[in-house]
Amino acid sequence: MVDVPAPDSFTVSVEGPWIVRLRRLFDVSRKVLSNPTTLVGLMIIIALLALAALAPLLTTPNVPDAYQMPRDWGVRDAPPGTPDHLLGTTSTGGDVFYGVLWGARTSLRLSVIVVGITVTVGTIVGSLAGFIGGKLDEILMRAVDVLLAIPELIFALAIAAVLGPSFGNIIFALAVVFWVKYARIIRGQIIHVKQNEYVDAARVTGDSKFNIYRKDVLPNSITPVMVQATLDMGGIVLTAATLSFIGLAEAGLAEWGVLVSDGQAGISAGKWWASTFPGLMIFLWALAFNLVGDGMRDVLDPRTEGR
Amino acid sequence: MTIPVSAPQDTMTTTPPLVATVQDLRVYFKTKAGLVHAVDGVSFDIRDRETLGLVGETGSGKSVTARSFLRLIQSPPGVYAGGRILFWSDEARRTGAEPVDLLTIPRHQLLDVRGNRIAMIFQDPGKALNPALTIREQVAEVFYQHRSEELLEGAYGDASLLIRRAAGQRTRLAERLLLRLPPLRQQATKLRRRVDDHVAAALNETQIANPRKIMDSYPHELSGGMKQRVMIAQALACNPDLLIADEPTTALDVTIQAKILELIRQLQERHQAAVLYISHDLSLVRQISDRVAVMYAGRIAETGRTEDIFHEPLHPYTRGLMAAVPSAGHTRGRLAAIEGTVPELVDPPASCRFHTRCPHAVALCGAIDPELLLVGPAGHQVACLAYNTPDQLGVDPSALPDLSRRTR
Amino acid sequence: MQIREYLLRRLMIFPLIIVGTSLIVFTLSRVGGNPVAIYIEHEMSPAEVARLEERYGLDEPLPVQYLVWAKGVVTGDMGWSAVSAQPVTEALTSRIGATMELALFSAVIAVVLGIGLGTFGGARRNRWPDHLTRVISISGASMPIFWFAILLLILFWVNLGWFSTGRSDPIIFAAIAHPTGVYTLDAILAGDFRALFDALHHLVLPSATLGFGATAIIARMMRSSLVEELNEDYVDAARAKGLPERLVLRRHARRNALIPTVTVIGLGFGFLLQGTVVVEIIFRWPGLGRWMADAVLRGDQATIMAYVLFTSVLFLTVNLVVDIMYAYLDRRVVLGA
Repeated sequence: MVDVPAPDSFTVSVEGPWIVRLRRLFDVSRKVLSNPTTLVGLMIIIALLALAALAPLLTTPNVPDAYQMPRDWGVRDAPPGTPDHLLGTTSTGGDVFYGVLWGARTSLRLSVIVVGITVTVGTIVGSLAGFIGGKLDEILMRAVDVLLAIPELIFALAIAAVLGPSFGNIIFALAVVFWVKYARIIRGQIIHVKQNEYVDAARVTGDSKFNIYRKDVLPNSITPVMVQATLDMGGIVLTAATLSFIGLAEAGLAEWGVLVSDGQAGISAGKWWASTFPGLMIFLWALAFNLVGDGMRDVLDPRTEGR
Repeated sequence: MTIPVSAPQDTMTTTPPLVATVQDLRVYFKTKAGLVHAVDGVSFDIRDRETLGLVGETGSGKSVTARSFLRLIQSPPGVYAGGRILFWSDEARRTGAEPVDLLTIPRHQLLDVRGNRIAMIFQDPGKALNPALTIREQVAEVFYQHRSEELLEGAYGDASLLIRRAAGQRTRLAERLLLRLPPLRQQATKLRRRVDDHVAAALNETQIANPRKIMDSYPHELSGGMKQRVMIAQALACNPDLLIADEPTTALDVTIQAKILELIRQLQERHQAAVLYISHDLSLVRQISDRVAVMYAGRIAETGRTEDIFHEPLHPYTRGLMAAVPSAGHTRGRLAAIEGTVPELVDPPASCRFHTRCPHAVALCGAIDPELLLVGPAGHQVACLAYNTPDQLGVDPSALPDLSRRTR
Repeated sequence: MQIREYLLRRLMIFPLIIVGTSLIVFTLSRVGGNPVAIYIEHEMSPAEVARLEERYGLDEPLPVQYLVWAKGVVTGDMGWSAVSAQPVTEALTSRIGATMELALFSAVIAVVLGIGLGTFGGARRNRWPDHLTRVISISGASMPIFWFAILLLILFWVNLGWFSTGRSDPIIFAAIAHPTGVYTLDAILAGDFRALFDALHHLVLPSATLGFGATAIIARMMRSSLVEELNEDYVDAARAKGLPERLVLRRHARRNALIPTVTVIGLGFGFLLQGTVVVEIIFRWPGLGRWMADAVLRGDQATIMAYVLFTSVLFLTVNLVVDIMYAYLDRRVVLGA
């Protein structure tokens, strides 16, 4: 059989591990951003973050709590384009533009907190299950199966309902519901690494379990966790908005779901703006993170999209 | 040693008539990195009842060439950038009609050629058979598509329009449901039984024992060798004039390989067909081909009768291949691998594709694209500057490469 | 047979997971405090309340409480639904029809449109139909259902006046008998075309809303499956046989692409289930979703627990059925596994 002959020589790389990682990061980012839809998503995210950051500058923060919608009984139900109220006002005189901006802040805080908690908890649980294995692993995985049996929204709904309507409870409910996927990812990585031969080699050279964890499991898990976290940033805000819409947040909160719910009553009378704009924001937020998350997934976990 | 050359002509009077001739075929692929010249000016002939072996390593463009016969290359990203593939069907040869250019004939004509005048068998029969359909369903398709008239004649008399459409696979969902109803149901069953007979006969030809049972099976229930027999049966079902075999035995056990090769040879004789056999395995090609064409990086390096190529390889690449094959007849020694790798095929410059690996390369080789020249008896052609005369290229005799001298 | 083992394991674990889910529901209710509230029907004297507590073993240790409650669930006693002033079981069965009808219509829309759109886009990769499919898919996944519903209402109800909220015109509804609880079916059984039209007319907007998101999920899976199948050798082999492209697509590529698409049915169903909560609120649909929404606002624990349990069991069952179906289909596809 005639085979393709070997190349002339090898080039041995003498770069340090961190430079290699940085370069890989650079290459990956470039590939991710080369997809136009991902780029659009990223730009939307930047715009949303800008809105959130600039909220106190673009609008006068409400006293005493900036995250409560201001009430101005003088300008109730003003349509968009009214002076001082770019997007109109709600039935209680709250500025829709204010709600849009401060809602962005609320969503940002919410999603970062929840993602932070869920990734941490999920990693811990997944690591325990993966490393200790055996009975503990079995029990934890059954528990995960049970938690996944309840549809996410309904589960969060039930928890928040039982604890009482408050935004803090919504955050808690979401954290309880959304950590599970991370546990699976981490555990899966650990098992994969365990089965890999080179870990046995490492163990032979005396590497402690913790080192294996640090050097092999964690770096490989980062990418699927990052993809999931990005997608969750969108999904969490979506679910939280739904819970607020149903009524589980405090009344008058500067949160998009609450605003859509408040604006609902005015629709039949033709007052469409109080619900439409905040709802649009939810859509854009979820869309942006989904686009970026998908783009990341295409690059980091490609399925054969053709030659 | 250079030999006076003339333009490639068919000077033999006893050669069999042409079935197909590839003239300067160019197939490119648009990729992010640029335009890949997968096939870059390939020409060869296939003659009646002859087996032409197309040999080359991975990436040489042999598969793309084969697929181009049936225009199977997907249009983005592939592009037929030039050349012609002329084809004479049996009928055309008998009536003395003009050949057709497979690359430009209209689609309905192409569909008539595919599976009917020219058939193809693929490398991995496990992947080339639809896993969700039974063997019967898949092989029957060929008969429905190309032999619907034959299926209808005889016992039907005045076959209804619906049955006609069924025979030609042109029914819609509602019509197929109607065919289940009693009045038409009998006729439909009769049609199906006739098709089954044809399928069984085709399977029988490839020495499949118990074809009726095999017909009801799914591909994954059969062995590799059995699957390949099914593919061959399907390909030969309509008695094609040319059979293209794309590495049909690569995915099979060595023991089965020999049987399949023998089967192809027998069937070729029986059907009086020509065969284009693609492979990367030199020794295999030697066994079954009458003529050989060696491909490298999208071009033909050398072509001629099998015995000529193997006893007197002219092109440095061919010589390198022969040396690299550890065959039983050779003296033992170092496994002579060819140094270097296949070159970048994106926007290649005008040079010999092999010059970066050629042990006899000179500066000229990096500047001129060698053409295929007739150099030996019985159509032995080679594309290497060493066989050109200085006058042909307008250079000094010392600029030509010399195959008796190594430059690296 | 790995697959058979896998399925057997799933079947055996199934009841365990249901028990696990019931434990979670039970824990939730205890977290919410005042366990006896589930059973209180109206203003009750302390003596009556005490009797209830005794009857349901609420003075016993927790594990016993759980068993008593579980027994109640199995025998049909899940407490009293404050928001509907009925026993929970009755409230559930009376509302199931409406939600199932809505879910079914949405599912049909989603499957038909989803497969159609996925095929349309997948077969024309990287050209405009494909881009359109992907845009629709990702929009559907990012769309807040309640917002979409409101937009549709603004357009089709407030501005165009073509549709309205609610499930039916009360007069027409009252004119026929309701043996099945599914309005469309009942109308057909009663031979009343006015009722049938009424039912369908009211179904349009809510099922379009629900269906959109599920369509997106299915279309996306169908598209990527089809693209994968079209890269397979057997598609080229089919073309090499001289088959016209529509046959290659229909009989070869699409049929195989449908198989993995089946796996998202479970996902899509979960999506539909969750969506009904807000869709029923906005369209004033008298189904389980709105029942739950009311209960959430009123803190009606009995209803909440029953709803969570019911939907989870339903969700689990659908997923199990889908897995079995896929294993059966895949058996033919898997090459000699």
